Amino acid sequence: MESTQPSRLTAIALTFMAVIWVSPFSWLILNAFNPLSTGQLEIPSVVGLDNFGEAISGNAGRQFVNSMLIAAGTATLSVVVGISAAYPLSRLKIPGRNAFLWALVLLRMLPAAGVLVPLYFTAQRTGLLNQLGVIIALTILNLPFTLLLLKNFFDTVPIELEEAAYVEGASLFQIVTRIVLPMSRAGIAVVWFFSFTGAWNEFLLPLIFARVQDAFPMSVGLYAAFGQQGAINYGFLTAFSIIYAAPAVGVYFLLRRNMNTGFAGVGVKG
Amino acid sequence: MKNQANPWLTSNLWVLGLGMLPAILLIGILLYFTAWAFAFSFTDLALVGRKSVEWSWVGLENFERLFTRRGFLESLWTTVIFVFFSAIVGQSVLGFLLAAALRGSRSMLRSVVEVCIMLGWLLPDIVAAFLWSATTAQTGLINQLIITPLGLPPVNFINDYALPVVTIANIWKGTAWSYLLFSAALDSVSREVVEAAKVDGATPLQRIWLVQLPIIRPHIATNMLFITIWTFTYFPLIFAMTGGGPGRQTETLAVFLYNQSFARGNLGFGSAISVAMLAIVGFLSLFYLRLLREPK
Amino acid sequence: MLKKVLLGSVAALAMTSALSAPARAEVSFMYAEWIAALVEPGIEAFEAETGETVNAIKLPGQGYDQRIALDLSAGTAADVNLMDSFMVSELASAGYLHPLDELLAGWDQFQYYMPGLLEVASYQGQVYALPTDTDVRMLWYDLSNFEKAGIPTPWEPKTWDDVLDAAQKLKDAGVRYPFQLPAGTKQAEAATMQGVYMALLGADVPEGDRNRLLNRETGQWIGDSPALRRTFDLFHQVYVERELNTAELNYATDIGAAVRAALAADELGILASGSWEDACLWDCNNPPSREERDATVAWTPWPGSGVEGAKTTTNISGGWTIGINANAADKDMAFKLITSIFDEGNFKAWTLANHRMAVRTDISESPEYTADPFLAEATKLAADTTGRDTVPGYQTVSALIQQATADILDGVPPDEVVQEYHDALVDEFGEENVVTYE
Repeated sequence: MESTQPSRLTAIALTFMAVIWVSPFSWLILNAFNPLSTGQLEIPSVVGLDNFGEAISGNAGRQFVNSMLIAAGTATLSVVVGISAAYPLSRLKIPGRNAFLWALVLLRMLPAAGVLVPLYFTAQRTGLLNQLGVIIALTILNLPFTLLLLKNFFDTVPIELEEAAYVEGASLFQIVTRIVLPMSRAGIAVVWFFSFTGAWNEFLLPLIFARVQDAFPMSVGLYAAFGQQGAINYGFLTAFSIIYAAPAVGVYFLLRRNMNTGFAGVGVKG
Repeated sequence: MKNQANPWLTSNLWVLGLGMLPAILLIGILLYFTAWAFAFSFTDLALVGRKSVEWSWVGLENFERLFTRRGFLESLWTTVIFVFFSAIVGQSVLGFLLAAALRGSRSMLRSVVEVCIMLGWLLPDIVAAFLWSATTAQTGLINQLIITPLGLPPVNFINDYALPVVTIANIWKGTAWSYLLFSAALDSVSREVVEAAKVDGATPLQRIWLVQLPIIRPHIATNMLFITIWTFTYFPLIFAMTGGGPGRQTETLAVFLYNQSFARGNLGFGSAISVAMLAIVGFLSLFYLRLLREPK
Repeated sequence: MLKKVLLGSVAALAMTSALSAPARAEVSFMYAEWIAALVEPGIEAFEAETGETVNAIKLPGQGYDQRIALDLSAGTAADVNLMDSFMVSELASAGYLHPLDELLAGWDQFQYYMPGLLEVASYQGQVYALPTDTDVRMLWYDLSNFEKAGIPTPWEPKTWDDVLDAAQKLKDAGVRYPFQLPAGTKQAEAATMQGVYMALLGADVPEGDRNRLLNRETGQWIGDSPALRRTFDLFHQVYVERELNTAELNYATDIGAAVRAALAADELGILASGSWEDACLWDCNNPPSREERDATVAWTPWPGSGVEGAKTTTNISGGWTIGINANAADKDMAFKLITSIFDEGNFKAWTLANHRMAVRTDISESPEYTADPFLAEATKLAADTTGRDTVPGYQTVSALIQQATADILDGVPPDEVVQEYHDALVDEFGEENVVTYE
């Protein structure tokens, strides 16, 4: 497959942008590797890994596992529920479906915090004050976005391909799993990743849903940096946030390969 | 329904319906809770205390107060500026340009640029707030690298130019999403079409403008809707950076909403604010919906 | 492939979350991270003595208030809970807390608690929680800048005018933040406590609570009073009319760090704050030596306004408390845990090590405590202190006060600010619960 290289001018512009984009990170790095960090932008007099040591001591390992469970669970549940509803929505000409999906997305503007109390009571009554409850709650909150996006991506899959497969005797299940899903791979990956990062950074729901200390994810652990009277442990904060963001960046690169394959392996010939 | 031509769909309607069931159930729950939030806007419900239990209906009083009390209208204006420059102009245009420029490229540069914008997106809001505050402070990066070497007195950007600073911080934080969506959408534009345009002698700009943009139109509309909603309701970054200040300079509706619902504890009034926000964005989205329509 | 793995993990998760239901413990206890050094040895002692296990839930300070209110109202709270003292009456009035009087009667160390501080944790004459520590508020000042401005130290202002005059001299001497008076919504409770309330208490005579936000006799909020107007005018003078300070520090992302940086750069004149600054004006956990601190800053009590009959110095205190859930299964056991935490040996060691202000006379009168000159001096202020108006609704009123100071910083005339404040109180509590003093 041909891969278009950006022109030299574009490359220079992109490099310039990348430099500007990363430059604020100097603060994060300088503080994270400075055992005597004060939160100021300064070259450390001593360089060390003490902050990282502090960040991974304590409950960080357990919190990492919890974050992964919540984020991957939410993303997967959102995508599975989303796909099985978005495909019919894309293919069946149900009147008003676009308006309905847009209205749902708009309704999500009402802040989740406003319904926190009823949500909490419901979870309590149904015995879901645990990570499964967090996953379901986050999936519910994600669903409008997930549905609209997935439907848009399914819309771009030409229906002729499905027709051809049907003529060749494929069942509905085969049509969806062999044609529609691979063709919408990039879109599904985006939706999955979007739900993943949203859940990865979610703080309030896990904080109030968790009944035992061992159930807290890393988003809660981050706040150990904040003491009383507004005292902030910047060394811990910066080191912890690097450790905290890294796995999510890793997940992105794992998925990116998935997105980049695009049409490979699919008989695209209309 | 005119699905006669699609027998693999029509003969499996019940399977499709079954597939939609979980989503219908969850959406039902969401609608139920949302209905509560709507209803709250007509009450004097409080976060804590007596009125959190013994609330009463107050009619349109909360909505009247949007206009008779200080805060809402100023915040609305601040929000419009913030959303327009940080989301619509900043994130969306920048995200598209990046996606178009890096499309199909396998170079090292693409990975580097992607890591950069992805790190911004993935950094916890609270940390991003400290990072940008440190960058724009009097002793921060911009002063140390640009202002002071030019022989100018250091500027406390975050205090003197609060709204531009939070706008830039939000572009930095959120562009990844638009980039991702547009990358994936451009991927769905078949290469043959682009190649054909190339053969016909279209310049790169023409290829983007005349070929790719029309095809990914639904994604542009969806993206506009999403980032408008998110930016309208996005609050942790601004709240941590400036708390809505100095004064009310960066008090967007989301910050105003937080202050009224949680600091002041008036959930009824807070709900009225969010219903008003919903109406405003609903109106805006009518413009976006036009984007979705097929050109004649 | 990836998806299959993830699907598996969801199924596994559903199972583990069913299994990892909290282990049945006799007593559960929720507290904030920063107080671990006090409670964790207490928990250990309790477990060793009784053989019971404690289900300890340690939370970050962030979101703590939200969680505890939600937990108690949903009936999912731990048996024993740490909470901010201002929440006690609100929670007690809703029936969420267990009154402690009967249990306290059987505890020999209860007699040492200072009555004024127990009042903050009481509701309708019953004690509902025990305080962990307290604080007092004062004006800190930078000695080198006072010297530069030609103001003799020790500085002993008698009225607000003395404070404003000093700030003027500091401003003329080129000090960047002559009088840092907490104001605005970003300062949150600090604007109410360290700013408004400290001024308000000395702004008028104490009779009929004319110097407060609430008439405690009638339970009415004070929507307009000479004291409120004088207080708002003080803020107006400082931030607008005489420009004795800029708004900057009040809207810094990390206010504490900004104040610290200003002090280090010799840009700070007077700082309205509290006793914790003895350590926290530097790195809380790592302050410089006593000598170094004394050579840099000093403090003086907040003077009254100078109005006839008003208090000559003012003070207001806050702090955290520990109380028992009204639904706790075994209240005796829960109380036993509290007494293990507050047992003299443990409590005293923590108070001294963390430079906390003692809430008990057996600790405050101990030779180790009085040997700390700062604590000994500051504790004297606690003799004439008061608490917030911890009746239901206080949080709302405090938020309105913070908004009022933010508007003053923005240049809104004090008259208009008072009017807005009054109207907002009426919005919230109704005409009959708001009173105006001429």
